[in-house]
Amino acid sequence: MPQQKIRCLLAMLGTDVHNKGIRTLAQLLRDRGVEVIYLGEHNTAGGVINALIAEDADVVGLSYSTATYLHYTRDLLDKMRTAGVGDVPLMLGGLIHADDEPALREMGVRGIFGPGSTMDQIVEFLQTATGKTLPGGAAAGA
Amino acid sequence: MSDRPGGESVAVTRTGTGADPGTDLQIIESLARGELRVAARLISRIESGDPAILPLLAALHARGGKTPLIGITGPPGAGKSTLVDQLIFRYRQQGKRVAVLAVDPSSPFSGGAILGDRIRMNRHSADEDVFIRSMAARGRLGGLAIAAGDALLVLDAMGWDVILIETVGVGQSEIDILRHAHTVVIVQTPAGGDAVQALKAGVLEVGDIFVVNKADAAGADRTVSQLREALSFRSDAQEPESWHAPVLKTQAVEGLGIDELVLSIAAQAEFWRSHPQQRATRRRLQTRLLLIDQIAETLHQRQQAGDRQQRFEQLLDEVLARRCDLHTAASRLLDHAMK
Amino acid sequence: MDSSGPKSNSDRSAADIAAQLEDVSVKLSRTATWSGIETQNAYGPADVEGMDYARDLGDPGEYPYTRGAFPEMYRSRMWTLRNIVGYGAPEDTREGIEKALKLGTAGVNIVLDTLSQEAVDPDHPAFSPDAGQEGCSLPTVRDLEVLLAGIDVTRTGVAWHTTMMIYPLVVAMAKKQGKDLSQLIGSHMPDHLQLRLSVGNESTVPTALGHRTTVDCLEYSSKNTPRWSLGCPQAYNLRERGVPASGEIALGMAIVKLTLRDLAARGVGVDQVAPSMAWVSGADIDFFEEVAKFRALRRIWARTMKEQFGSQDARSQRLRIACHTSGRALVYPQPLNNLARATVQTLAALLGGVQSLETCTWDEPICIPTEDARELATRTQQILANEVGAARTADPLGGSWYVESLTNQVEADALGLLEKIEGIGLIKAIEDGTIEGLMDDYNYQFKKEMDRGERIVVGVNKFIPKPEPAPKRFSFDPKGMLAHLERFRALKVGRDQTLLKEKIAQLYRAVRSGENAHPAMIEALIADASIGEVWGTVRVASGLAYDPFRVVESPFTYPTI
Repeated sequence: MPQQKIRCLLAMLGTDVHNKGIRTLAQLLRDRGVEVIYLGEHNTAGGVINALIAEDADVVGLSYSTATYLHYTRDLLDKMRTAGVGDVPLMLGGLIHADDEPALREMGVRGIFGPGSTMDQIVEFLQTATGKTLPGGAAAGA
Repeated sequence: MSDRPGGESVAVTRTGTGADPGTDLQIIESLARGELRVAARLISRIESGDPAILPLLAALHARGGKTPLIGITGPPGAGKSTLVDQLIFRYRQQGKRVAVLAVDPSSPFSGGAILGDRIRMNRHSADEDVFIRSMAARGRLGGLAIAAGDALLVLDAMGWDVILIETVGVGQSEIDILRHAHTVVIVQTPAGGDAVQALKAGVLEVGDIFVVNKADAAGADRTVSQLREALSFRSDAQEPESWHAPVLKTQAVEGLGIDELVLSIAAQAEFWRSHPQQRATRRRLQTRLLLIDQIAETLHQRQQAGDRQQRFEQLLDEVLARRCDLHTAASRLLDHAMK
Repeated sequence: MDSSGPKSNSDRSAADIAAQLEDVSVKLSRTATWSGIETQNAYGPADVEGMDYARDLGDPGEYPYTRGAFPEMYRSRMWTLRNIVGYGAPEDTREGIEKALKLGTAGVNIVLDTLSQEAVDPDHPAFSPDAGQEGCSLPTVRDLEVLLAGIDVTRTGVAWHTTMMIYPLVVAMAKKQGKDLSQLIGSHMPDHLQLRLSVGNESTVPTALGHRTTVDCLEYSSKNTPRWSLGCPQAYNLRERGVPASGEIALGMAIVKLTLRDLAARGVGVDQVAPSMAWVSGADIDFFEEVAKFRALRRIWARTMKEQFGSQDARSQRLRIACHTSGRALVYPQPLNNLARATVQTLAALLGGVQSLETCTWDEPICIPTEDARELATRTQQILANEVGAARTADPLGGSWYVESLTNQVEADALGLLEKIEGIGLIKAIEDGTIEGLMDDYNYQFKKEMDRGERIVVGVNKFIPKPEPAPKRFSFDPKGMLAHLERFRALKVGRDQTLLKEKIAQLYRAVRSGENAHPAMIEALIADASIGEVWGTVRVASGLAYDPFRVVESPFTYPTI
């Protein structure tokens, strides 16, 4: 029988092209039973939100390697709220500087997975944030 | 297309609140107003097999059948997504609002998926008159075509001007999915050997329009002539009053040949309009096959419930032990399921 | 996860001690190279059986140049010690260059911001925040004039670490200044197929149009600016995106061979263009494998040029290599460890015989290089050159059974993959995602091996350091960028609109007619068109949208032909 899947939208905003991290993450999440909707690079906030709505994604993940992530994240979250999808959890990965974490949390970012984060941490976050369980992931609620 | 200062356009008014969508009638009204989030949520419920939506689907079915459904399939790497992107672009130029259902029947062991077809359609990402939804197999066997059909009911209820269904040609599922389409476009690339041999069984029969994409590659003309020859042997090819499937050449990346494809799709729709008899025959055949699929799926779902699952396994044991044959076992199961 | 029950105190302390011992004892964690070539316990003459010195190695400076491009190597000409500089407005980057030169850098690589790298203007409504962030914003000839004020481009060579639009910009400025183009010196990295693969999507850099632009650029340069160096292939980015050492060679050679064949079809022979070409390479962390890679690469290049393209000019056959040590190998946790990594990578590049070398700064995984980190990168090279004696003798590892065997292995793997790519057709393999699939698989396997502990990266999946405060980040005053953007907008209003429209129309016609677009691109830039406008026009003439992101519409009306 089909089941409740976690649908996770992965995207990059701005002109950042360092996509190898997020592409590998997509494969690893697929291995854990996640349905990844992969938007690739060079997205605008509007594009991400339209995809998020159409795909009814449970969670959005963004990866950054450029320093402009504060700007793009704030812009996206503002537009998500305006579009009525401010409730969808947002996680960030890539080169997120520790100094910026409080500001990002303040904005409403729910998960921050900088360098050194493990797959188990990401999977646990996905389960907690969406309230859904993954096939092999007993991490939720544990 | 209009210039959008700021580069951003989110369909604010059409997203809805995401709160309780209300009664079935309210949902139908929301869909008719084009509320995207209501539609998206509904498709999620279809995907998760929520039985509570069956009455709603019945209501949608009763009102449906208005939007042209164009199915596009072909092997991985044939350039389907790029072709779909070009079709969206042309339809948008004509002022048409477009919905796309991108179905990926490949089913990795984990049950997860990477749905990446949207990337090739990214230029439409900020266009609120383009709706793209991706759908994965989720380990379903025959059920994917049914889930896709239900998702198409939802899109049909939203008043799009055209709906495109894209599937990857990896198995029987995409041929099943194409039974929902009014026009079926089969995409091929120039083949090294025999182009017709490379087609899967059944594909040649269901195509209304054949496209040889990447037509600048070596062997394109040969592939075209091989396809034309094979089509001339199709059962309907001898009848004067039937639609004769054309073979077109495109270079989707460069946008070449797309106008011809758009014209061909329109001509095919016009053929159905002017030949209601043929159209009815076709719809009847497609619906017959869909109904057979649905019977199997319904039975399958009923067998999942409680003691029926056990009974199924017991009968299976009987068959394995040769105490019962397949015919008898199926009859017994059916009789039981009908009760 | 270990879910065994609670342990007694004495058990626990014994386990702690065991864990500490584990941390200090060094063990062999892997017998394959970083790229995955399995190695033996030891190597001997049998492992290089059949190798012929004259045929397979040759003296340094002799065909097939396995042992080096020049006979005296670093005794006759030292490598060029480079530093990458670029941030903010042209004025900001100019300041950075002057500081780098004071440290003893022989040359700078100027890096452009992501917008300029993709020929997008800094006023793009969706991406403007990225302008000047990761490199210098350089949208017009006027900006180039600010950046290079007082520098004569026929006397001082500037290296540009970028692919798109920089060459037409530099030529446009030189023409505007009335310089003799035949004397123009400097270098850039005209490899749009690499850019297509790095950017990751067909809409931003379409494969076919990108490749045509590379061929246009090399044709124009070989005819008009013969002293200009062409960093093609730009294999560094391909390697960093995710291919093994052999994959760097295979992909780079596939790009070079296709480009040379298409140039030949335009009547440009190998010996007219190959002497200006240099390989832009990386140096990853596996020391011996990288040395082997540089040696295998030179041999493959020499034989390909001579045997497949009929080159008769030694300058075409001896490959010059511009090396940037791998940023991918540097990690965020305990970032000062990256100094050790970069030192070994730099040494591998020197023993591998590269012609120019830029050492990644230790803070590369954190931000764009800070000044302090840049100074340490420069000092690293100075220590290797002056104290370690790394430059004394050409090909010092040549003749090592291990290194020769590894050279042969990397060569064989590279040639095998090259054949596979050419069997599919390079353009097709890029367009249909085959190459990206290879890279994704490599990265995926890499990560899997790390998860299984089959590949140890210190501080990442083993020897994990205590949490420490994040290091200082590079930052610069945004004032310069604001003024730069203001100047850009004013230029768009104040330029000669009639002349601009005429040049843009000529560019459109040139692209449509299929002729080399470079002369018309250069003329449009001289008429103060921006890079976004020039590339947008090339795109429209090629049947594509003006703005790949569909946010901006073309401000021009194009002639009907």
